[in-house]
Amino acid sequence: MIKLIEKIEGEAKLNFNFKEGRIDFVDIEFMSTRNIENILRGKNAFDALVINPRVCGICGHAHLIATVQALESCYDNLELSNKAKIIRELTLNFELIQNHFKWFYLTMLPLFGHKQEILKATYPSQLMGKAIAIFGGQYPHTSYAVVGGVVCEITEIDIIKLQHYMVETLKFVEENLVKTKSENFLTCEDAGALLDFEGDLPDILRQIKKENLLEYGKSYDRFISFGHNSYFKKGKSLKTKVTHNISILHVKESEVPSSFAKNVSFKDKYYEVGPLARAMVNKTPLIADANKKYGDSIFSRILARVCEISQLLQHSKELIKDLDLSEESYIEPSMDISKLSSSGYSAVEAARGTLIHKVEIENGMIKNYEIITPTQWNLSGGTKDKHGVSQKAMIGLSDVKTAELVFKSFDVCSVCTTH
Amino acid sequence: MKKKMRILWLSAIACNGNTHSFLNYPYMEQFLDDFEFIYHPVIDSEYSLKDIVSKEITCDILLIEGAISKEFKRADVSVVDIIEKYSKIVQKIVTVGTCATFGGIFRESGYENTSGLHFDQEEPSENFQDLLDKTISVSGCPVHHEVLVNTLYAIKKEVALKLDNFLRPKEFYAYTVHNGCTRNEYFEYKVDNHRFGELEGCMFYDHGCQAPFTHGSCNKILWNEVNSKTRAGLPCMGCTEPTFPRQNLFNTKKNMAIPENLPVGVGKRVYLTLAGISKAFKIDRLEKKLFDD
Repeated sequence: MIKLIEKIEGEAKLNFNFKEGRIDFVDIEFMSTRNIENILRGKNAFDALVINPRVCGICGHAHLIATVQALESCYDNLELSNKAKIIRELTLNFELIQNHFKWFYLTMLPLFGHKQEILKATYPSQLMGKAIAIFGGQYPHTSYAVVGGVVCEITEIDIIKLQHYMVETLKFVEENLVKTKSENFLTCEDAGALLDFEGDLPDILRQIKKENLLEYGKSYDRFISFGHNSYFKKGKSLKTKVTHNISILHVKESEVPSSFAKNVSFKDKYYEVGPLARAMVNKTPLIADANKKYGDSIFSRILARVCEISQLLQHSKELIKDLDLSEESYIEPSMDISKLSSSGYSAVEAARGTLIHKVEIENGMIKNYEIITPTQWNLSGGTKDKHGVSQKAMIGLSDVKTAELVFKSFDVCSVCTTH
Repeated sequence: MKKKMRILWLSAIACNGNTHSFLNYPYMEQFLDDFEFIYHPVIDSEYSLKDIVSKEITCDILLIEGAISKEFKRADVSVVDIIEKYSKIVQKIVTVGTCATFGGIFRESGYENTSGLHFDQEEPSENFQDLLDKTISVSGCPVHHEVLVNTLYAIKKEVALKLDNFLRPKEFYAYTVHNGCTRNEYFEYKVDNHRFGELEGCMFYDHGCQAPFTHGSCNKILWNEVNSKTRAGLPCMGCTEPTFPRQNLFNTKKNMAIPENLPVGVGKRVYLTLAGISKAFKIDRLEKKLFDD
């Protein structure tokens, strides 16, 4: 049975194979591509800073940050101020936050039989857009991070404005999402205790429990996360055992005959990426507890993603304290890009997980560019003997509607995947 | 119950940037009270994409996002076929963003004959000639939510919008992005020592800013209500224009030290003369830091 899954920033076709009333195999197909990697070839390297945010309307900022870091890795001895690093990290945090609000209120709620809460999605995500715009001029589609730093200079008044947007967003969280002081939510280490909280998130978690969905969506319990910064750690987690010594050299992309999306594996194994993966690698107590009690199910996946809103707001608040406005925003690279022939790569944590960019430059022009998006990791289409992460999560379910819920719990992004 | 205007939001070869820019509209409650989507990429709608392509659902406005090619399909149906079907029954068509209007970035995505609805960059396209009278273009990568939403209200209220040669409402596109930029004085007085990471300076001379010859309201209707790219210090990339994206975007193309692209309507000779005079000003306030000690 073929089902067109809609409103995932595009569509995907899922071909379900049933055996004795249960899903036995799911073939995932993306029907198009936009060939961004080809578009980039032969262009000036810096133009990638303008083109790549246009990979995706909802996580384009992650593509900007990945691009600038990949280009910077092509230089030897490039200087970057701490201030520029912090600003980039802040704006990327804000993008993650706006994404998670939209996903929860627009994508998840209807799958649980509720009406979309459009205003609850747009109000806080607009605040985060404003926060990015203070630095980047606009959101979406700014190119404000350039090789050597950021183009903006910010003032104390900008910081005050920024803090207002963050306080207002936090207030929204505390009045709607999880109705308690954020400290209580962030210090809670018992996933079961969360069910006693009030708010839109606990409501959904209670519904999962009440409707016996706790077992749904389990996959390999195998996670990976490459983009490290002042909050996220790099590493992989296998049945809660975490190792940090992993290399991007073991990440492989491979063509799939039936789909425009390429498969991604690490040492020939499929891994889950995204907020749940990040929390497992970071050993966040609340999420680790959820994973222990309910596995890598939709419960843990939903909780991890929404929890990241509060975590990143809290962390961003701390990051701002480290900003030294007297530092340079931008330090001009000592070598002109037109003289540069080199290659490099980057890995950043986008809303949906690890995003990798690889670039090859010849005399300042792009010779080759490769993008590996988070959704490719989660949706890699394996075989019956070796399922992809989301494929495995859908096996054994008895109906397509639940499978759609499980599928969308990965926060699938079709446009990214069909870059 | 008052009648809502029904919109079909159709994405072709797109990144959904316009979809998310639209979600930045601050008065969404009011908007959704006046309009409803028979289909939208993110907002729930009464019909599925499958319904849209297999049936003919009544609607008033066809809104197209993304570059258009016969080869590109949605739910197994060519976007051109979907456009042809719905363009016949709607009152108005709105091409949202630069891809749907001129082809934009995804003009290069490798599908056969990819372009905007009526324009392939600056060239008028041969297709859809009969729809010219119905179409309004709101270009931009992405479009500003206010430009889109207020154009939709103008349609609802049957306001006769004056359009430019690319079918863009003059209300928004008669201005240049340069209008209202906080760095204007550095341009006026030819202070040409811009460095990234500073409040001061104008990106026109060295860093590729296209604001003086790009039509748009970015510095009149601020982005996210707070800022603009040029105010922040990022050159205008000319994203509302048919030429988007040009090449070598962070560099100003010059001939004999004169920028190749001059402000709209300004001749080279006059520009040179004026630049010479303006440079003579040597305004101390603009030579040093804006917030000096």
